[in-house]
Amino acid sequence: MAGVVLETLGTKKLSVLIISLLLVLAAFFLIGGLVSPAPNNVIDTIAMNCVDKQKLWQLGTSKPFLPRGKNACYHIDSLHEDQAKKVDPNQIVFSQWIPFIKKHNQLSMSRWFQNLIGVVDLEIEFTSKNPYSEEKSPEMLLEARLYGRFKDETDDDWRLIAASQERRTLECAIENDMREEGQRYNCDLLPLFELGSVYYDFYLINVRLPVSEKDEYNDNIGRLSTFKIIFIHQNGGFTKVWFSMKTVLFPMVLAALCWFWNRVISQGRSTNLTERTLFSLGIVLSVMNCPVEWFTLAFNLPFMVLLNDIRDGAFYAMLLSFWIIFVGEHMLDQIERNKLSAYWKHMTVVLLACLALLIFEMCERGRQLVNPFFSIWSSEVGSIAAFTFIIVASVAACVYFLFLCYLVFKVFRNISTKRTSLLHMSTFRRKYYSGLIFRFKFLMIVTLLCAALTVIFFILGQVSEGEWKWGDEDITLEYTSAFLTGVYGMWNVYVMALLALYAPSHKHFAADSDADIDTLSHEEEVQLTQVPSTSASEGSNLTSFMAKTAAD
Amino acid sequence: MLLMMMMMTTTIKRITISLQYHTGCRETAFVYSITSAAVAYSVARSCAEGGVSTCSCDNRVDQRPAGEGWEWSGCSDNARFGHKFSRKFVDVLEKGRDFRYMINLHNNEVGRVHVTNSLKKVCKCHGMSGSCTIKTCWMMLPKFRSIGDKLKDRFDGASQVLPENSVRGRGRRRRKFNFSPANHMHKKPGRRDLVYFEDSPSFCDRESSLGLGGTKGRECNASSLGVDGCDLMCCGRGFTTEEYTVRDRCQCIFEWCCTVKCKMCTFNRTRSTCL
Repeated sequence: MAGVVLETLGTKKLSVLIISLLLVLAAFFLIGGLVSPAPNNVIDTIAMNCVDKQKLWQLGTSKPFLPRGKNACYHIDSLHEDQAKKVDPNQIVFSQWIPFIKKHNQLSMSRWFQNLIGVVDLEIEFTSKNPYSEEKSPEMLLEARLYGRFKDETDDDWRLIAASQERRTLECAIENDMREEGQRYNCDLLPLFELGSVYYDFYLINVRLPVSEKDEYNDNIGRLSTFKIIFIHQNGGFTKVWFSMKTVLFPMVLAALCWFWNRVISQGRSTNLTERTLFSLGIVLSVMNCPVEWFTLAFNLPFMVLLNDIRDGAFYAMLLSFWIIFVGEHMLDQIERNKLSAYWKHMTVVLLACLALLIFEMCERGRQLVNPFFSIWSSEVGSIAAFTFIIVASVAACVYFLFLCYLVFKVFRNISTKRTSLLHMSTFRRKYYSGLIFRFKFLMIVTLLCAALTVIFFILGQVSEGEWKWGDEDITLEYTSAFLTGVYGMWNVYVMALLALYAPSHKHFAADSDADIDTLSHEEEVQLTQVPSTSASEGSNLTSFMAKTAAD
Repeated sequence: MLLMMMMMTTTIKRITISLQYHTGCRETAFVYSITSAAVAYSVARSCAEGGVSTCSCDNRVDQRPAGEGWEWSGCSDNARFGHKFSRKFVDVLEKGRDFRYMINLHNNEVGRVHVTNSLKKVCKCHGMSGSCTIKTCWMMLPKFRSIGDKLKDRFDGASQVLPENSVRGRGRRRRKFNFSPANHMHKKPGRRDLVYFEDSPSFCDRESSLGLGGTKGRECNASSLGVDGCDLMCCGRGFTTEEYTVRDRCQCIFEWCCTVKCKMCTFNRTRSTCL
């Protein structure tokens, strides 16, 4: 087996490379922090209480209720004052139209926003006469309709995007010393809808909370004073930065991938498992980088969020598999693996975790393609199923890390036993082993660094919540954006570095030609397996075990 | 919006007129602070309803051409707009350069600061597969009542200050005044403390020049020891108690909104009135 580029690089070249990679990483972080705005923006709104005087909705007409403008609905300011006395709860339609008019300028949504999430926040007042049912969280029934239209159209052109009847459980609490008339319960947010594309310029949401004497829905929810709808969308600036990043990274990774594979092929021997895995990692990364999102600017592609989640998930699954295979191939224990079936246990765990998450994702996001109002958490069966998938995924993840730690531990033990016997080996064998050890240690350090950085940045982000300020107010660092671009860039740089450094080297240890070195190394390997070294005798039990499981 | 502004102006004027001869007392401080708080609050709320077209985005966005900033980083700062609006709108009513002016400006600011500080942070996770890798937070307006409650606490603990020339900050600290408390043992009032410099009138007797109605004929609570109790409210003049019958709604069935179905019942109640 020939050496890789990493081994033949001088210390000077290597340190220059590492420093430049770190600089690229810092650049990614700063692009997110300084150029890009916060990844998401919130439009917090209070819905207008429209009154459906002719009971059109109940009669089945799908006429939109507009909160403002020329065709604004008849609305009441308060749900509980004299004005509301003659109104039936079934006639109230909560309505909101986004975006707003700011400074006399009707804003419009942009396709750069990519996705739109709607959340409902109910303000429930405490009254002793009409209390919120605290023993059993009340079931709500929301009849919701989502409309969209373009800027140059009129109010007659509102298009119905989705209509649905959704159940939600309302969870509220109030402290004991707050139990006075007019005080407010603390209620959990209710998920309303998730759209995977922002195709229209204006969006209009209409929600009704029907009551009937037959059903128990919307009973015992207490006294509702305000119906707030919160919209969250990705910021256009963040999308622009993100797209540019992907567009730049995609050809770079692709080029590195082509160069790597070319190198491997030009060796004129059959490829080994590590190389094949690294190549697949590059392919999956390229698939993730592929900036197909540009199409969302022209077409309505609500499945893009789902597609992105799947692409991200595939990359992380591939990365996890790569680590296992890489560590396994550097085991230094004379077992010839070099094939995927040797890792079936580890692969099963990774696949299981991914499959669980994929099913969960398909249930939630996939279903939302048909009905944006769908939420898996709203029904009891759904939330149990969702929890099951998440628990399966987390258990599999834990098992995976145990596997990985165990393998790494074994490699380190093998290394320490090999080191004592290293001096007695022939020069070629020593070079072969020390190369293997160096390769392994380098990857370990880089991987640990990347993983640690991801975890640290993530925790810092959770603590700081969004924005950091340094010195004057002029310099603000959008931390969440910096985290997202930084981590994305980091794993790209990581894979590119691996492709460059772990490509087979043209330089050779001692021999003159490729053919010679191959036969030589093969002889050496055959010898190695036969020489009863100290490690082999020590780890014989384990190796036999491993061989047995592999055979199984 | 215009109508709301006009209504508010008249309310503020009425309040200031009725208290203009006694502008330095504790009650005035409360009225000033809650008025400016209410202006800030209702403007912010109206912006959130989308019915007001003059609401603006925050500064950073304003620097960019209209539309572009919105596309770049969105627009959502209703509370700050309300705060700014209240500064422009309420503080303008204060004219002059005297001590009373400074006290009023300070109390106005106290009200607004209470609105801004009582904003509650709410977050939603919506990262990959709905996980918390991406969390978006926003500030939510509380009920106005809770701001009122906080201001009432400040009213109870308001500090009396000495009418002397106080130092005023410049630039950004323009609204920060340096008052010295009348009681040297007390600490200096901060930006959330209400200040006053005159003792309150007793409010017991009618004084039309001050716009005070007195407590004669006011209904009081015979069993309470607080300010609503008959002992304090009637200023020692005593009170009468009478029994009366009333027909009122009872056994009501409520929905989450609007309709209340009730029966009418007859109740016997007692009422105490100050002499």
